[in-house]
Parts: sequence; structure tokens; C-alpha cells
Amino acid sequence: MNFRLAPRGPSTAAALALAAAAMLVPANVLPVLTTESSGGVRSDTIFSGAIELWREGMWPLAVIVCTASILIPLLKLAGLAWLLLGARPGSSAKSRRMTRIYAALDFIGRWSMLDVFLAAFLTGLVRFGEFSTVTPRAGIVAFAAAVVLTVLATRAFDPRTLWPAAALSPP
Amino acid sequence: MNLPKPKLSRAPAFPLVWVVPLIAVAIVGWMGFSELHDRGPEITIDFADGSGVEAGKTVLEYLGVSAGAVVSVELKPGLAGVAVRLRLKKRAAALANSGARFWIVHPEIGFSGVHGLDTLVTGVHLNVLPGGGPPARRFKGLDKPPVPDVVDEGRAFVLQSDRLGSLTTGAPVFYREFKVGEVEVSRLSDDSKAVLIRIHVDAPYVNLVRTNSRFWNAGGFSLKVSLFGGAQLRNTSLESLVAGGVAFATPDRGPLAPAAPDGGRFILAPEPGSDWIKWSPNIPIVAPEAAERPAPKGGILNELIK
Repeated sequence: MNFRLAPRGPSTAAALALAAAAMLVPANVLPVLTTESSGGVRSDTIFSGAIELWREGMWPLAVIVCTASILIPLLKLAGLAWLLLGARPGSSAKSRRMTRIYAALDFIGRWSMLDVFLAAFLTGLVRFGEFSTVTPRAGIVAFAAAVVLTVLATRAFDPRTLWPAAALSPP
Repeated sequence: MNLPKPKLSRAPAFPLVWVVPLIAVAIVGWMGFSELHDRGPEITIDFADGSGVEAGKTVLEYLGVSAGAVVSVELKPGLAGVAVRLRLKKRAAALANSGARFWIVHPEIGFSGVHGLDTLVTGVHLNVLPGGGPPARRFKGLDKPPVPDVVDEGRAFVLQSDRLGSLTTGAPVFYREFKVGEVEVSRLSDDSKAVLIRIHVDAPYVNLVRTNSRFWNAGGFSLKVSLFGGAQLRNTSLESLVAGGVAFATPDRGPLAPAAPDGGRFILAPEPGSDWIKWSPNIPIVAPEAAERPAPKGGILNELIK
């Protein structure tokens, strides 16, 4: 279905990746959730939320949040940027390695919405009026946008550009 | 074979996808701007004691509405107190003017009733009385709520008592169990043989205090039980039962004594004399309720407001 004869230029993927990179900034700087409970009001960015989890003794969860929400989006974009900019098809071993990286990027994409899922989940679940409310903030929107744009950029990237031009000519 | 002809098109010089990052950058810029725009100044308040204040949780309230939040709570160098850093909201920036008085609201029972009961559940919050000076960044916090500013043209009187009882700042002053003023401040007399209590009577009621008025401590209640008389419970009102208070009455026999001057001194009796409560002199006042509201025509409300 998605098969295209002519390789698409890297322009689309690069544009989307750039947009995703821009969105990652507010996603990490702005608060993603505001929690109002009897203890008061607090707004958390992704990072401060992970720190708080760590302080509360929930280390595994803190590590998961840090990995899924900060590390993976960054690594994905970095990987994509490397494929787009630095990667020139050389030996077929190099092409194979880069294709494997691309496949990995494509695969993890669908798992990076953990935070958004969590926010949607909490917002729906924790609605006890006076006692406790969770409200999503601008950061989570930016985060979701960054993730979606990264997925689109990965999709728009044509892995055939990773191979020597000879491979593209019809048999 | 009848194949359709391929459509050939040149690659556009500026691919449309590049609009996406442009929009993204614009959105990011707008997000950043609106976030920074809502921020007010950051101020630091020094408190002698910061019990209950928590970073990220404690808010500053003004007129009952959140005006900012505590960013951090740190001990000052040399353990000389606590420095509370506070981020104000944009609209509350005027609270950061020198002369503003900040204090921590703890739950309290006894200051003119029950105060800050919500802080039992929500934790403490900060409160502020704005100052009129130039903008400032550092403030000295109060240890306790400030004495309320006198806003009307009432009069202050000084009561002298053997003991303070439960008369703290804000305790009510009653006339016929109707609140007409508040206790302002109390201190020991210079010879330490009595307690001096300054009360403030609100403007419309100042005429009720005559030079021969008698004051008594209306706080608490007394229970007298006798074999034949049964049980007699004396108390004034629920408010004074909890918070203490002062009541006064003016004798109704003979001509009415002149109105007491500002700063007039009275003795505060521990209990009312047997007939004080029955005194009911005719003293004209202008009740604020009647002055502000035109009386409705007829009906039981008319009787009440008149």
C-alpha cells in the first residue's frame, strides 16, 4: 500500500522532525499536570514528576517515566537527525546497520505516548471535586504533538535512501 | 496495452511540509510567552517560624483568592529563621510593594471565633495585607496576624481587669448580645497589677458607651447548680462561648450620662451585676443596616430592619 516507486526526498521527514524538536522544548519545560488535592496545588513538569516519584520511593516508576518520556523522545529525534543528515550510504554493512536503527525507531514510536495516556487516565479518574482534581496543562499537549510529529517524521523517512542508488534501480 | 499517461510535476521549490515546523515554532513561542506573561515577581519573606509551609503546596491568599505560590522554603544562614520564596501571579504583582505585611494562617480557635479552619485540611496558607510603598523583593513576615486596621470612625476604650480571661485580639464586644466592636490589643499595666484591654467600638454604636456604662467579661459560661433552684446556665452567645468577649450595659435610671470620650477607661467586671442585663436606656443610634437599605413596604422584614 505504502509502496512508492520514487524515493521521496528527505525534506518531509526533516520538516516534521524539526517541528517535533521544537515541540519537545515546551513539553519538557512547561508543566504537564496540575494536581489539586487537600494538600494544596502543585504543577509538575515531566522531570519534576519523575523526581517526585523518586523521592516518594517509587524508583522503578521514576526510571520508566524518565526513560519513556525524556530519554526515548530525545534519542528518537537524535537518531532520526543522524539518519537524515549524517548518513550517507556507504558499504552495505553500514546500510544494513542504519536500516536496523530505522526499524527500531519505527518500532518504539508507538510506545512513547505513556505520559499522555497517564494524563488522560488521571484526568478522567481523579475527579473528586473539592478534594482532588487533576488537570492537564499545556506541556502535555506539546508532548503529544512532539510524539505524533516524530512518528510522522519516521514514517515519512524513506529507508531506501539508506542504500546505494544501485539498489533502487528496477531489476 | 493502454496505460494512462504519467502526470509529471516539478518538485516545488518550497515543499508545503515546511509549514509544519514553522507552525510548531510559532506555537512554542506563543506557549513560552503566555507562560512568562502570567508570571508575577518573585519575592522572599523572612519568617521566624515556617511550620507548615511547604514548597509547591502552600499558596498566598489575598481576599480569599490564590495570589501566588511558595517556590521554596529554606533555613536562613546561621539558623536565623526561615526564608520563604514566593512566585506571585501577574495580577497580584502589586502585593509586592513595601509595607505589605505577610503572615502564616494556622487554624485558630479563640480569635473572634474560629479562624482558618480550612487550613486544618488544606495545610497552612499565607495571607497578606498590601502595603502602599514602592515595589520590593524582600519582606519581613509577621509572627501572628496583624491587628486589624481601624477602617471606620469608631472609638477606642480601655478596660482594666484583674485577669485577661480569654480576651485575645479580635474577641467581640457585645451590646445586648449584638456585636458592636472588637478587642484590639491587650497588655499588662505598667505596675503589672492589672491587665489593660483596648477595645474598639464601631462608629454607629459609639453612643451606646456612656461615662457610666459597665463592662463585664462575657466569655465562657457559668453553671450554678443548687438543690432547690435547679441548674442555671449563664452564657451570652455561642461565639463568645468559644472566643470570649466583652459585654456592656448602661444604667437606665435617671438622666442619660454623656457619651464616653475616645480612650475612656472602664473597669472590666468578671461577671455582670444582677440587674445590669435588664438595663435598657433609650439611646438613639443610626444602625448601618437601616441607613444603607431602604425599608421595604410592610411585611415582617420591615419590623426587623427598622
